[in-house]
Amino acid sequence: MGALSLKNLTIHYGRQPVVADFDLDIRDGEMVSLLGPSGAGKTTILKVVAGLLAPTRGAILIDGQAVTDLPPEKRDAVMIFQKPLLFPFMNVQQNIAFGLKMRGDSGDRRARAVAHILALTRLDGLGRRKVHELSGGQQQRVALARALVLEPAILLMDEPLSNLDANLRQEMRELILGIQSELGITTLFVTHDQAEALMMSQRVALLLEGRLRQVGSPRELYHRPADPDVARFFGGDNFIQGRMRDGVFETDFGPFPVEAVSGNGHRRTATIRPEDIQLVTDTGDQPDHLPGTVKRTRFEGMATRAWVSCPSGELVVLTPRSGLSAGQAVQLRLPPEKIRIFPD
Amino acid sequence: MRALGTRLLAPAILVAVGLPFATLGVWSLAERWFFPDLWPQAWGLRAWRYVFATAGGQVAAALVQSVAVATATSLVSVVVALPAARALGLYDFRGKDTISVLLTLPVIVPPLSVAMGLHLWFIRLGLAETFVGVVAVHLTFCLPYAVFVLWGVFSNYNPDFESQARSLGASQLRVWRQVMLPMVMPGLIVAGLFAFLLSWSQYLSTLIIGGGRLTTLPVLLFALMGSGDRPVAAAVSIVFVLPAFVALLFSARHLGGQSLAGVR
Ligand SMILES: Nc1ncnc2c1ncn2[C@@H]1O[C@H](COP(=O)(O)OP(=O)(O)O)[C@@H](O)[C@H]1O
Ligand SMILES: [Mg+2]
Repeated sequence: MGALSLKNLTIHYGRQPVVADFDLDIRDGEMVSLLGPSGAGKTTILKVVAGLLAPTRGAILIDGQAVTDLPPEKRDAVMIFQKPLLFPFMNVQQNIAFGLKMRGDSGDRRARAVAHILALTRLDGLGRRKVHELSGGQQQRVALARALVLEPAILLMDEPLSNLDANLRQEMRELILGIQSELGITTLFVTHDQAEALMMSQRVALLLEGRLRQVGSPRELYHRPADPDVARFFGGDNFIQGRMRDGVFETDFGPFPVEAVSGNGHRRTATIRPEDIQLVTDTGDQPDHLPGTVKRTRFEGMATRAWVSCPSGELVVLTPRSGLSAGQAVQLRLPPEKIRIFPD
Repeated sequence: MRALGTRLLAPAILVAVGLPFATLGVWSLAERWFFPDLWPQAWGLRAWRYVFATAGGQVAAALVQSVAVATATSLVSVVVALPAARALGLYDFRGKDTISVLLTLPVIVPPLSVAMGLHLWFIRLGLAETFVGVVAVHLTFCLPYAVFVLWGVFSNYNPDFESQARSLGASQLRVWRQVMLPMVMPGLIVAGLFAFLLSWSQYLSTLIIGGGRLTTLPVLLFALMGSGDRPVAAAVSIVFVLPAFVALLFSARHLGGQSLAGVR
């Protein structure tokens, strides 16, 4: 129904480059999360795919057909904006039928399609409501319904959950996932929330400052970040400098044996996730452990985050252990298999 | 306390608005009314007979002329102001501040000077003493007003609504007609009404450019007042105010509780 291919997209606002050399392929029926902090260029990319903005360079292909020069209404790609943007002078069903009307569907067909989509998005009975009488969550669902009713080849969602409070967000997330897999609509789902990106899709594309930095499964991005910026975005705050020597990564925190022997003698940066560092409070001398002092702690519910000062630098540790306090002496172990050494 | 205030509000407004009208009404029905009496000594329908019978043709013609001029001015104002205000409200470009100042000029400069200044040009252009000429001189201040009103509307307008409509399959033309127009309609009505009322109440500029050929209601009103016949002037004044009042009520009902700008 719709495979989406973005090739080498470069986008400017005036002279200001916003997105550079963006490449992404989405299989038919797949949902990919486009993740990035605010201002990274996510909305800009969606607008270009939707045809609302022209790229400076590059091509957009739907099922292998270039649509780069088609106006938005001729593209089989529908964008849902961050705000619901329901037309205030129309009721719910008129809003949902808007696209069908533009397409020239008969009144009968429109009514049937609207009724079906109202049920699918759990909006039954709200068809005649005025838009301003709806809650935020209902408005967002109407916006979703208004796009889905067109059965587009490509669905582009711009942070559809960011305006909802936590409980509603969870509900809406399930709804979107359910509908997406039921209808099998190829979807590009934009979010700035890393947890949301990991939950929503089998593949995540990380955009930083207008550049695609890594595409892969949630696990890949989380556990095998391509570079320090990606690691930092996913909350990996520990960076260790060192040198490769004969299958060993030598650092101030100790030597770590590595499998791939490459770049002998070269300086490298490595990272280890806070939750991968083991923390013990026994003061007895433990083999492979680094001594350190807790500088401060923060309780985060399931775990406690501790900033630990070691002789060779500071490390952030996320530990299930409770009762840590500032000034306490602890020992840390950095399991070698959890160390991720970045390629050059 | 609050209930009392609310209950008194409507009568207070009625008195404030109604009193001048009531005075006009009394004057138009006075046959004889000399100082220092608070009430006419004799009542009669002489003034109204004059307005509807003796001078009926003149008044009717002036009414038609006024409606025609004000309607034309209002329509042109709105049609021209809409795209201009849209650009001013939605885009940033060089010279925007200058435009803003230029737009206030006709509002600040007295209509008399504008009309005098334009008169010579209009004579040369063959616009003096014509309908088009009078509408054109009214436009010099009605149009800026309309632009200002709609500028405000468009600076509260979210163009993403249009992008959303495009993405849902509407062409640019249909987006303008079926999304933008309904969204700004309340503001459009207000702008049109402002322009209409402003044109409706013009006297000097109509007189100068129209040269007495174009007799609108205010022009006729002043002529009748000059003769010193107060009851007749009062009756003509009522004829003059009523259509404006009706236009106001009509649009108030039309606007009923809607905000002026599209909801963001
Ligand atoms: N209409 C515009 N004109 C100029 N710059 C813009 C415009 N819209 C967005 N930008 C800039 O482009 C960059 C990317 O914006 P955007 O795509 O909205 O980011 P995101 O959706 O990831 O938060 C930002 O630096 C933003 O300031
Ligand atoms: Mg955005």
